[in-house]
Amino acid sequence: MKMKKLLAIVLAMAMVMALAACGGGKDDSQPPADDQTQSGSQTPEAPEEPASAGELTLWTYPIGNWGKEEEVKAITDAFTADTGISVKVEYLAYADGDDKVNSAITAKNAPDLIMEGPERLVTNWGDKGYLVDLSDMFDDTDKSEINEAAMAACTHSNGSVYEYPLVITAHCMAINLDAFKEAGADVYLNLDTHTWTTTDFINAVEALYDHYQAPVGAVYCKGQGGDQGTRALVNNLYGGTFATASHDQYTWDDDENIKALEQLKSMPGIAFDASLEGGDEIKVFYQGILKMAFCWNIAQQLNPNQADTGAGLTANGEEIVFMGFPAQGGSPALQGGIWGFGIFDNGDQARIENAKTFIKWMCDSEHTVDAVKTANYFAARSAAEGTDLSGIWADNDIMNEYQILMPYLGDYYQVTKGWAGARTEWWTMLQKVGEGADIAETVAAYAANANAADAG
Amino acid sequence: MAKQSHPTMSRALQRRENISGYLFLLPSLVFFIGFVVIPMLICIITSLTDANMHDQGMFGSFVGLSNFTKLMSDGTFLEALKNTFIIVIVSVPTVCAFSLWVSSAIYKLSGPVLSAFRCIFYLPVVTGSVAVTVVWKWMYDNYTGIFNHVLKGVGLIDQNINWLGDSKYALWCIILILFTTSVGQPIVLYVSALGNVDQTLIEAAEVDGANSFQVFWQVKWAQMMPTTLYILVITTINSFQCFALIQLLTKGGAGTNTVMYHIYWTAFKLTEQAGHFGYANAMGVVLAIFIGLLSALQFKLAKEK
Repeated sequence: MKMKKLLAIVLAMAMVMALAACGGGKDDSQPPADDQTQSGSQTPEAPEEPASAGELTLWTYPIGNWGKEEEVKAITDAFTADTGISVKVEYLAYADGDDKVNSAITAKNAPDLIMEGPERLVTNWGDKGYLVDLSDMFDDTDKSEINEAAMAACTHSNGSVYEYPLVITAHCMAINLDAFKEAGADVYLNLDTHTWTTTDFINAVEALYDHYQAPVGAVYCKGQGGDQGTRALVNNLYGGTFATASHDQYTWDDDENIKALEQLKSMPGIAFDASLEGGDEIKVFYQGILKMAFCWNIAQQLNPNQADTGAGLTANGEEIVFMGFPAQGGSPALQGGIWGFGIFDNGDQARIENAKTFIKWMCDSEHTVDAVKTANYFAARSAAEGTDLSGIWADNDIMNEYQILMPYLGDYYQVTKGWAGARTEWWTMLQKVGEGADIAETVAAYAANANAADAG
Repeated sequence: MAKQSHPTMSRALQRRENISGYLFLLPSLVFFIGFVVIPMLICIITSLTDANMHDQGMFGSFVGLSNFTKLMSDGTFLEALKNTFIIVIVSVPTVCAFSLWVSSAIYKLSGPVLSAFRCIFYLPVVTGSVAVTVVWKWMYDNYTGIFNHVLKGVGLIDQNINWLGDSKYALWCIILILFTTSVGQPIVLYVSALGNVDQTLIEAAEVDGANSFQVFWQVKWAQMMPTTLYILVITTINSFQCFALIQLLTKGGAGTNTVMYHIYWTAFKLTEQAGHFGYANAMGVVLAIFIGLLSALQFKLAKEK
């Protein structure tokens, strides 16, 4: 009997302790463990580091090679060696990264630093008051060096700056040049300027479809992944807009966008595919099945499908050429990508100061070259503390060639209020259009939903 | 004397045994209360509030039944509810009927053969749902999937069918996968139940002139009713809570949105929406009510039977 009692007590205590561990008291400095978590403090050079000056947690989305542990470890190790501040990094995926961050915010376990774009840092988490205002990090020199559009996108309408921009790029589309040549559609491409007109695009798709007798491009709409591509395609065809210039209302129900959707729906070479997201589309394009991809940027051009099988080549070795989206006059308004760092306000001033040190080291110092090159995008500023950043890709032909698209950067409307809800409305609307619903009515209904969410 | 002392000793012994019994129960009770009862209560309470991730505190402000009235006019929720019911109405009877049929056919087979069949049907259950779903996703693929390849090869279709991207097919594709992952446990249970049917009753019925159909329906089926009830309730709950397949295959698109997925989407994706936690929890309460009603109906029908 005594043994039974003892066993019962031991079991009960074990379970209660397990429960307590699950519910857990929180250590602000410790994000949830992850296989991919690495610590900048675990470096072979540890003995040479300065005395520990604290630690930081950084959560980063896969922004170029900032999503690769070995690349990030190299630069955070260098930061730790320089400052004595160790950095624990957790790598987020776009598929569930927002869920993790939102859960962490709700559990008051947010990281010190987060790396992403203004649509999340400014419009969402900054707007809700979770991030620290970084205004005091920008002097007049910084403001003159940083790309104006990037600076504007990182600044909230209340004047607070919730993101320190590191890199920018222009999202574009890509074509399979060998397939175009085989179908005789290459005559519609301007390979010098990497642009084409709406008419050229329509003719090229027709020629490709006649040749391959299957869809050659997909308006993917399974979810929000890579939806910048479908938005840019629709907006550019006839000069439509997605939101007002003041970023207070969604305008994708304008006549130009409806005309573009009607045009795309009427083309047998273009499929409205609700089984694909941006990443899936890239894969199918990389396999050579689709002849054009609408979800593309320089990171893809350098390493298509992240397959490490050669820059600018499909799986079959066919040549991939990046292109601006087709526009009536041939001058597209491309979607920008802006990425940088924000600081969560966890109430610990010392950690906030360390986080600012990290941002200064990465975004505005002689080390910015390495931070930018890690991302594989373009610097968001012309110079950093005297270091010229304009020619850092001089040794890379592809990066140099890609810069031809940068002047086409259009409005960064992703900071319009209610962005997350609007994205859901956008791809759901595309699905309905794909299923054959009346285009004008459907577009109007879903744009109204987006604006209602915006107002709410 | 002995008669007088025995009840006293007995009570003390009883008390000690009760205490140790409750202590053994305690670990499970702690988990049950911590992870089932309390979250359930929180869900019910927050469904009456505008709780969201941005305001301080767990419960937000009390809004009465407004979340529920809003649900009644929410087109997306109603479509998700319709899809959920389609999944339940189609999958529950087919899973039960198919499991019963397979079990009837295999339960008399010799040991190793029976085990082989059990393994085959149970394999999708023990295999990770993500792995199973990924394989199905490959097979359904619009561009490279084996289904399109075979159907085109034999000349049944000219153009690829977008199985998971076309609302004409997507929900049925989901139901098919759900079916294959759901039949394993019912088959094992039915095989066991059929093996436990009282042979004397069967022999008596046969002596009385019952044919094989009558033996099955009047004798075996009646004795398997508790198993059937369990299978019905479990399959119904699993079908109502279909989430992983939707998340991994369609993300609620192409007419496959279900209430479970819509709860997740509202709670964790539409975080800008006012009162998103409260609204999602209201959906959870509605779903729980439907599951409870249907399970109660199944219990009642089985009892009458």
